[in-house]
Amino acid sequence: MRRPIIGITTYVEPAAWGVWQDLPTTLLPHAYVEAVTLAGGRAVLLPPDDADVDFLRTLDGLVLSGGADLDPALYGAEAEPLTVARTDRDAAELPLTRAALEADLPILGVCRGMQVLVVAAGGTLHQHLPDVLGHEKHRPAPAVYGTHAVTLTAGSRIAGLMGDDLEIDCYHHQGVADPGSLLVTGRAEDGLPEAVEDPARRFVLGVQWHPEVHRDKRLFGALVDAARP
Amino acid sequence: MVRPLIGLTAYAQQVKYGNNDLQAGMLPMTYVKAVHATGGRAVLITPDDPGTDVLDSLDGIMFSGGGDIDPVHWNEELHPAADIDEARDTSELMLMKAALDRDLPILGVCRGLQVMAVASGGSLHQHLPDVIGHDRHRASPGTDPLAADASAYGRHDVVTKPGSQAAALLGERLTVNSFHHQGINDPGTFTPTGWCPDDQVIEIIEDPDRYFALGVQWHPERTGDLRVFAALAEAASRRYRAGRPVLAA
Repeated sequence: MRRPIIGITTYVEPAAWGVWQDLPTTLLPHAYVEAVTLAGGRAVLLPPDDADVDFLRTLDGLVLSGGADLDPALYGAEAEPLTVARTDRDAAELPLTRAALEADLPILGVCRGMQVLVVAAGGTLHQHLPDVLGHEKHRPAPAVYGTHAVTLTAGSRIAGLMGDDLEIDCYHHQGVADPGSLLVTGRAEDGLPEAVEDPARRFVLGVQWHPEVHRDKRLFGALVDAARP
Repeated sequence: MVRPLIGLTAYAQQVKYGNNDLQAGMLPMTYVKAVHATGGRAVLITPDDPGTDVLDSLDGIMFSGGGDIDPVHWNEELHPAADIDEARDTSELMLMKAALDRDLPILGVCRGLQVMAVASGGSLHQHLPDVIGHDRHRASPGTDPLAADASAYGRHDVVTKPGSQAAALLGERLTVNSFHHQGINDPGTFTPTGWCPDDQVIEIIEDPDRYFALGVQWHPERTGDLRVFAALAEAASRRYRAGRPVLAA
């Protein structure tokens, strides 16, 4: 039986391995692929490409992966000093997300991916959370996840998936200011949006945390189930 | 516009970027750009999820370069100079056999050409210097052998067999880059149609009876000469327009 094909957007970064140094590389942490595999899906990686979204026809579901900041011009703001954008990813992922929403493809947005969903839905971001919130709990130190409790809206999709386990692992310095047409269904102790949904669509869920790190079958399983033909 | 969907086999290995040092599915962007520049749409197939069902959604597949193939696949002992990648072997030999079964358009690049040979019953020379007495098929680590100031290592000519698909596509003779220390011994079911004239190392294999199956020992994606990628995209597009064959469940 053919498994649902889940496309996952990728990073493009100068990377080093073997004899190579600083080679422009398309890459995705293995955790995403394993999370999709364990949930019963077949992952394919989608390097950025702004030419067309024609390949959507071959996907059953979409994961918008984490990564660098979005270009603030996409939500009508000037770039602040600590914003580090990847315009090649933006140019590919915004049209892809809009087309996937249009086609009602099941979508899971992770971290940057949640922010892509928000911006595609007409929302805006805070460019550096410590300036807004006065603390660094969402990104305590380089490569250290901040663990905190999340409050979920009763009756929402994410509340149904998470059950009683409400501890999440975050690593971000930007956050949702205005969710656009999406519904905020989860918030951190400081009130920052941690989960967004579009209840009008089949499956559109964005989380500011990193469920792939624990191969969280609740979220990835729900995506793969929604993606089954 | 509907572009053919081209799967690219990827690496899954430890990689460093920014502050990160982690296991990732990855591929140099040169491959992705070569596919997009020639009219295809690239998706990456990582070896950490073996299975061939993904081929149902592809119009063509390119097998990328990388480490050596375990000689256990042609019943030989491992050479001390070999650097094998078991996860890629398992995944790619499975994908190659299934792609050949479906007659999916196939392009093999470097290791990818070697996977074509081994998957179809052939074998490799595990360390070319033992066979040909020199190591000029391997560029200095991390260099671009076609750069103007590069040494002669990792750059040589290829001559093609008259009347072959390779000759129609690439002409009688071309200069290529070279990044390998293994080479084809027995091409399996494929026909050799290009050689390095200095030492007769096989540089191109093909199977004219298939939709499109071409392997090259060099790295065209690192050059401006993307003719073999264009040929793959063209074959994949033709196959897409013809309608995918319906497979028995």
